[in-house]
Amino acid sequence: MSLTKETFSQISPSEFFYRNRDLAGFSNPSRSLYTSVREFVENALDACDQKGILPDVHLSIKAVEPEQPDPKAYILTVKDNGPGIESKHVPLAFGTVLYGSKFGLKQARGMFGLGATMAILYGQITTNKPVTVKSCSDGKTLEEYILLLDIQKNKPIILKHSTKEGSKTGLSASIVLEGDYSKAGAKIRDYVSQTSLITPYASITFEDPAGEKFHYPRIVKEMPSSPTIIKPHPHGIDVETIRRMIADTHYQIPNVDNKMISKVRSELGLVKKNLNPKEILDRAQKRWSNLSRPVRTIIAIMSFLNLDFDGLSKTRIDDLDIANKKLTYWDFGQSQSHVVELDSESSYFKQLANTVLGETLHTFLTKRFQRVGPTTADKFAEFAGFKPEKRIGSMTNEELVRLADSLQKFEEFLSPDPSCLAPLGEEPLAKGIMKFFNPEFASVIQRSASAYSGFPFIVEMGIAYGGDIPLAGVKVYRFANRIPLLYDEGSDVVLKIVNEMDWSRYKVKGDPPLVIVSHICSTRIPYKTVGKENVADRPEIERELKNALQYLARKLAVHMSRQGMADMAKKRANLYSKYIPLIAQFVTELSGNKKEPNYKQLIKKGSEIEEPQI
Amino acid sequence: MKNRKSKITKTAETKKEKLLSFLKGQGLLIYNDLENGRFPQFSIPSRSVSNIVYDKKLRQYVLGNSSAVRSARNMSQLRSYTQLAWLAFFVNRLIREGKSSTLRDIYYSSQAFTIDFEDQPESDNIIVDLEALFSFPREDFHIFPEERSSVFGDLTIEYTVRGYEGRRVNLSDHPDGYLIGPSLSSAELVDTSAELVIAIEKGGLFTRFVEEKVHKKFKAIIVDTAGQAPRSTRALLRRLNTEMGLPVVILADGDVYGEHIAMVIKSGSANAAHLRELTVPDAKWLGVWATDIEKYKLPTIPMTESDIKRIYDLQKDPRYQEGNWKTQLEVFLKLKRKAELEAFSKYGLTNITDKYLPEKLEISKSL
Repeated sequence: MSLTKETFSQISPSEFFYRNRDLAGFSNPSRSLYTSVREFVENALDACDQKGILPDVHLSIKAVEPEQPDPKAYILTVKDNGPGIESKHVPLAFGTVLYGSKFGLKQARGMFGLGATMAILYGQITTNKPVTVKSCSDGKTLEEYILLLDIQKNKPIILKHSTKEGSKTGLSASIVLEGDYSKAGAKIRDYVSQTSLITPYASITFEDPAGEKFHYPRIVKEMPSSPTIIKPHPHGIDVETIRRMIADTHYQIPNVDNKMISKVRSELGLVKKNLNPKEILDRAQKRWSNLSRPVRTIIAIMSFLNLDFDGLSKTRIDDLDIANKKLTYWDFGQSQSHVVELDSESSYFKQLANTVLGETLHTFLTKRFQRVGPTTADKFAEFAGFKPEKRIGSMTNEELVRLADSLQKFEEFLSPDPSCLAPLGEEPLAKGIMKFFNPEFASVIQRSASAYSGFPFIVEMGIAYGGDIPLAGVKVYRFANRIPLLYDEGSDVVLKIVNEMDWSRYKVKGDPPLVIVSHICSTRIPYKTVGKENVADRPEIERELKNALQYLARKLAVHMSRQGMADMAKKRANLYSKYIPLIAQFVTELSGNKKEPNYKQLIKKGSEIEEPQI
Repeated sequence: MKNRKSKITKTAETKKEKLLSFLKGQGLLIYNDLENGRFPQFSIPSRSVSNIVYDKKLRQYVLGNSSAVRSARNMSQLRSYTQLAWLAFFVNRLIREGKSSTLRDIYYSSQAFTIDFEDQPESDNIIVDLEALFSFPREDFHIFPEERSSVFGDLTIEYTVRGYEGRRVNLSDHPDGYLIGPSLSSAELVDTSAELVIAIEKGGLFTRFVEEKVHKKFKAIIVDTAGQAPRSTRALLRRLNTEMGLPVVILADGDVYGEHIAMVIKSGSANAAHLRELTVPDAKWLGVWATDIEKYKLPTIPMTESDIKRIYDLQKDPRYQEGNWKTQLEVFLKLKRKAELEAFSKYGLTNITDKYLPEKLEISKSL
């Protein structure tokens, strides 16, 4: 019998992602190169979107040693004209996993700013080369950082920092990574071109390893309206999220240090003056409405401990047990711990209880969620079997689960607020499609907002027919939150809807020159896999897609029948101008006439006959 | 005799004039429609199965009353309308210039006028449309099929084809017989000493009959139908019957196909239901009958499945519902064996001419 000794140790987020890089799309050199391009380009576009800047993005991929066979080291550089990042944030933003500003609830391409750091991490693992970041956030100075990631500690290591004169804002990031462009090239080119289709307000340039430049100029000059950050909808909430939200509403018992004491003194107007405990409390009562929450909490504690400022400076609060009405503190002067009984009748007790137990359920619901007013909050509390005054900090685990369940089940919440979504808009989409495909016919539609499981979403769709589109059957371009989806087409909900379509009902036959552009916008796209390449078939989304497609197909059918009639008229005209003169020629001889009959009138008549529509 | 001849000439001339005036009439109608901005149209008797009926009085298949309009107004008919107009124009030239052509010729000639037929079946079909429209066989329009059969015997004809007008030939001058082609078909029948026409299915037997001087022994004109008699051959047989007053008898193989060859000469085919004057209603089928097989102890070969199927098909035909036609089919079906004309050779090469033919001719008098 042998004993295996296991060691348990905490790992940093960097290390976690390093060990699980397959999950984030870094499974092999070709996929990794593609994923890295995506992450950097999407970050650049997101940054511009947030500040309402028309994006100007330059992407370049260069081989370090071009003669080497793939896979080999490539330098990937993405440069944008966005707001840049303030100098002090650069090392953390690029040298830490899970550092970013994208935690609010609104639609954006990436989530949590995680992907770019993953790309940096991957580059560092495969080539041992640092990332170079040039940022200009004020339009005057250009900060250049050369960074490595400390994987174990999840901290940046600054190798070099220099400052130059800058002229305009923007960010440029350059990494060296192992990639396989011969395999990934086609996908990357598709990705860039399709991104330009769904981002017609951006100018995108791509320089490939062979030095060939692909330039996609800006098609529309107006930015689509930007989304607003909003509170979550009750339907889209789980227990873990509630726990985090409750933790946010708890107020810490403030640390009683010198800084806090001077804050209290200044708010009471006693910067230099010292008073006895009772005088301090009187003064606090007079100014109560002007005092900040931490100061109120300190005053409440002072009232129970009967302390002045000197006493306060020698005290550390260790525990506040509201249930048992006990306060434990450490007295530095006596080097001893004390326990004080709290008088629950005192108004200061309520102040402390509020701080520790958090808000009432009623307040929590109305303040922290969208679509919950006072009346709905009361109705919900009754539905879930809670008192509206119940302090959320006092809920047990079971009660939290019941709360989360009830939030999802309660049917009287209005559907989610779509103002957090950023659809492209019908006009830019139509312009993009016209420019991109140069079709004979195109139509677009933006469906009104809908929701699944508490997450709002909007479906935008465009259809294009004929013109430069090849006769190769229906081709579908899928987008989600302005990102092209290129892999795993087969299992996607959009493909499913398109394939289920009976095109012959819409006068479309054979292998038509037909393109469908589908864009789903949501605060959370229900991807089927972690690879984020195909959208799952939620019934709500399916219904919206189907309605959009049918609307567009009807538009196309109208065009087709107009086209059909025009074609028919043309065909008739051709036929009559060919055959009537021949008939005239034959019957002139047959009837023994010398001169041909005047048949012009008949050709005209023949061309104008309306065939019954089938 | 002389009197009859002038009558014949007049008939042939009249027929040509009638045809030309028909064509001109159609031409004028269309011309006026075009001039006045009206869409011209043809009304063509329908040749669909449902419109083919057996006329007991005429003793042949004829087309019923339904007809189809082919109009230049209808876009899908415009092309075939033009093709038909072209064909009328083209045969008008053929007739006026005294030239003849074949079905295949028509297909190629069309290309000079940008009337593009997809293939020959399409042009053949338009020719049948023309026949149906005017109720004249294509031979009258100087269009002939490729297949040729021949004729031999004491018959004097006078050519009407260009370059040979007035020239006379006696059809017993060449022992291989004369091809029944455009010149012979359009020739006038002048004189004959024959009292009978024997139509025989096979070229080999035709030669034997000439060698054995059947034409002299039986005062006969011998016609080789070369299998199922072509239209021109049937037209000649009819003319010999109606113009020269000669009875027609038919000798064919002793099987269901032989019997039907005789029937088609007598009363026409469903395919030519739109045409008249191709039949010889009084023609007599001499043999070989099914009952002859036993009577003459002819060597036989077994019938194939398609032979038997053909018997069942013919049993549904109204013309096979009575008399000898019906009886012989039933005997064939009972025997399930067949005998060719050559089978008589078992009893000597001249057995058929010396023994069988005289006996059957005698019997035929009572038919």
